[in-house]
Amino acid sequence: MKAIKTIGINSNQPVGRGFNFPYDIAILEDDSETPIIYLINRSSSAASVGTRIQYFTFDENWLGEFANSADPNGVGFVKPVCVDFDKHDNLHVTDESTDEIKVFTKEGQFSRSIALSDVGITDTVTDPRFGPSGLCLDKEDNIIVASRYKNQIVKISQEGHLLNSFGSLGNEPGQFDMPWGISTDSHECIYVADWRNDRIQKFDRNGTYIRSYGEHGDGDGQLIRPSSVAVNESGLIAVADWGNERVQVFDQNGSVNEILYGDASLSQWSREWLNANLDEKDAREQSDLKNLELPGHLKSNYHMASQTEHKFWGPVSVKYDSLGRLYVTEHSRHRLQVFGS
Amino acid sequence: MIDENSLKLHLIGRSGFGASESIIECVDSLSYEDLVENLIGPKPSNHIPDDILFRDQVDLHSSRSGIPAYWAYRMLSTDNLFLEKIALFWHGIFATGNSKLNNLRSVLNQVDMFREYGLGRFDDLLLHLSQDPAMLVWLDNQDNHSGSINENYGREILELFSMGVGNYTETDIKECARAFTGWTLGNSEYMSLMSQKDSIWPYGRIVWHHRFDSNDHDYGEKQFLNEIGNFDGSDVVEIICQQKATAEFISRHLYNFFVADEVPVPQWNVTGPRDPDAIQVLVNAYFEFDHDIKSVIRVLFNSDFFKNAVKKKVKSPAELVIGTLRLSGQYSDENKISSSIFSDIAEAGFMGQSLTNPPSVEGWHTGEEWITSGSLVDRVNFASKHLADMDNDGVKLIVDRVIEKANMGINDIYDLINICSREIGLYQVSDETKNAILDGVDNNQQENSFANMSEQKKQNLILDVVKLASSSKEYQLC
Repeated sequence: MKAIKTIGINSNQPVGRGFNFPYDIAILEDDSETPIIYLINRSSSAASVGTRIQYFTFDENWLGEFANSADPNGVGFVKPVCVDFDKHDNLHVTDESTDEIKVFTKEGQFSRSIALSDVGITDTVTDPRFGPSGLCLDKEDNIIVASRYKNQIVKISQEGHLLNSFGSLGNEPGQFDMPWGISTDSHECIYVADWRNDRIQKFDRNGTYIRSYGEHGDGDGQLIRPSSVAVNESGLIAVADWGNERVQVFDQNGSVNEILYGDASLSQWSREWLNANLDEKDAREQSDLKNLELPGHLKSNYHMASQTEHKFWGPVSVKYDSLGRLYVTEHSRHRLQVFGS
Repeated sequence: MIDENSLKLHLIGRSGFGASESIIECVDSLSYEDLVENLIGPKPSNHIPDDILFRDQVDLHSSRSGIPAYWAYRMLSTDNLFLEKIALFWHGIFATGNSKLNNLRSVLNQVDMFREYGLGRFDDLLLHLSQDPAMLVWLDNQDNHSGSINENYGREILELFSMGVGNYTETDIKECARAFTGWTLGNSEYMSLMSQKDSIWPYGRIVWHHRFDSNDHDYGEKQFLNEIGNFDGSDVVEIICQQKATAEFISRHLYNFFVADEVPVPQWNVTGPRDPDAIQVLVNAYFEFDHDIKSVIRVLFNSDFFKNAVKKKVKSPAELVIGTLRLSGQYSDENKISSSIFSDIAEAGFMGQSLTNPPSVEGWHTGEEWITSGSLVDRVNFASKHLADMDNDGVKLIVDRVIEKANMGINDIYDLINICSREIGLYQVSDETKNAILDGVDNNQQENSFANMSEQKKQNLILDVVKLASSSKEYQLC
């Protein structure tokens, strides 16, 4: 895949256009000409304002924002993690700190909250927290959510009734260690980014273990702390290999189909900003921000990512749209990179 | 001379961030000399794992907040306190401030470098410092060009980082600067501009890396500290590290940091060391062990002048804040990650020591200069607030331990004060302080015998005593 577009710009403001530690996106593809992207803006841990949802088109037309934690009367977030739409275009958002899923209309109106402490899963650990992280909706609009602290995958109805749960703490097949992102494929199989076990696990729709992808390491096909997984129509499995600062794409047999390290360009918003700040634009144009000749002690994947600009830095989420384009959200570069054929 | 256990507490406290009585049980079988080796020897950090920290507080991943919470987590949860103390030691000498740089991740990379090289040969450390991009920007070496020198780094490496005023000439400074021409950072113009404008656009900070620009280096002959040659920066560093003045300067810094407070560095050229004999011992070790810093510190910790220096130092704000929070048990493991870390570590700044933001290249003035009327109130309030809060696991532990010991039999309230004091690292408390604590404790509580008190009253009494003891003069010292 080739990098076809970069979306976004950094902004440390609590309102308005621009991202500050974006965490996940959901893509709304209705009758409009261009997909609308809904993005979790995680914001700074030090300040409790600016955590919100921003939405904008693929063409970088910023449409607005909602659920801002800065609004004392609003329904803001503490630690939102993942988002997904149901069939009725309702946006579901997990909040790891408040143990709930918040539901909004596509216009940003708050609908309701689903408290996960009430769903009644069998508790296998003493930790009282649920820690909802990954989330996706199945074909019946049931909610599948990963519990970070209970190390389970839980399926609940829209009414919040428990339908199924599986998993426990451990590193055996079917066990998890702080699971994060989850996704389903066209066969309704469930894929889980088993974060601290450095692997992706695949289950059937009932939670029966099928297989896993990856193992700990930084070689091809190896993973360090995968945070997100997405499966396209062909069954290719994209994995946000977060700790390795890259994205790996596996086929269903577990072979590595492709490894992406990022190749960002200037977004429209970035170009607009630089055109208004010509001193930085001029200095930037004389620079080589892709230089990889770095000192030996600063050559870890993390350091390489931090000292260049085009590469992924904190690739936390992967999503496919219906055209097969892959969207990579980078929390520490505050942008999306989009890849396509 | 104090007893063996108190001496061990003194050593543990100075090599880390305070110590409490509970630690003694863990090192009981070790002799003092073995304990020195145990503390300064290599060991895993075991701090809260980075991946957990970054998942919970994503802005720590790129260190964008401007507050060094990441370093605070390390200091608060590590098993290798000495390594963090060494990083703090060099951070105070090679003072580099994010207030100018606006690139905290680059400053924290420098702290990483202190961890990696701070206990090895001084030559290696000084060389890496001279290539450290945060330092290069801090002292403008990206503007130090062949034929047009900027002597800022050339001056400070001699004045503040190695030899001290009075041991070199103005010519040496200029020749030194010439040797460091071309020692710059990648994309220096753009990076400097982003730094000056505090720019995060378009895609956040870009962390800096060193680059040697051979086209901008002065390859000509130089005369430096009475030696002549076509020196570059690494040659200059080697010459510096051979100087007796360098050994004296670094030894005095080690003495000031680990043993007893010296006058501020700018006075060193007119005011001699507090203990010239001790400095000579350290200077001898510097040369005997080929400039190896850890070897010098080993000599220091085993010396009589160190053992006799109990409570002769004023805790720095970082020592007070980190030491208190370690006692209170906050932020000690991955289940205690909290956004309050940002405000808690900022407290050290209100007390006069904002980590990663020293006031100038001179670093912080230490010793009694830490104490002002304002900072003293902050210090007392901070310690008493955190150590009197039963919601903190460490405080619960202190209370439980005191009750267990007191239940074994105490004669009077003074015994209880002694037990409580040792639990928060005060192994020598004056009668004046004990009486002050006694005055502050609720009279009704004193009148009952401890054994006959309800558990709640015991807890309240202990918390009162701990709160008052942490407000004492002794708690301000280490």
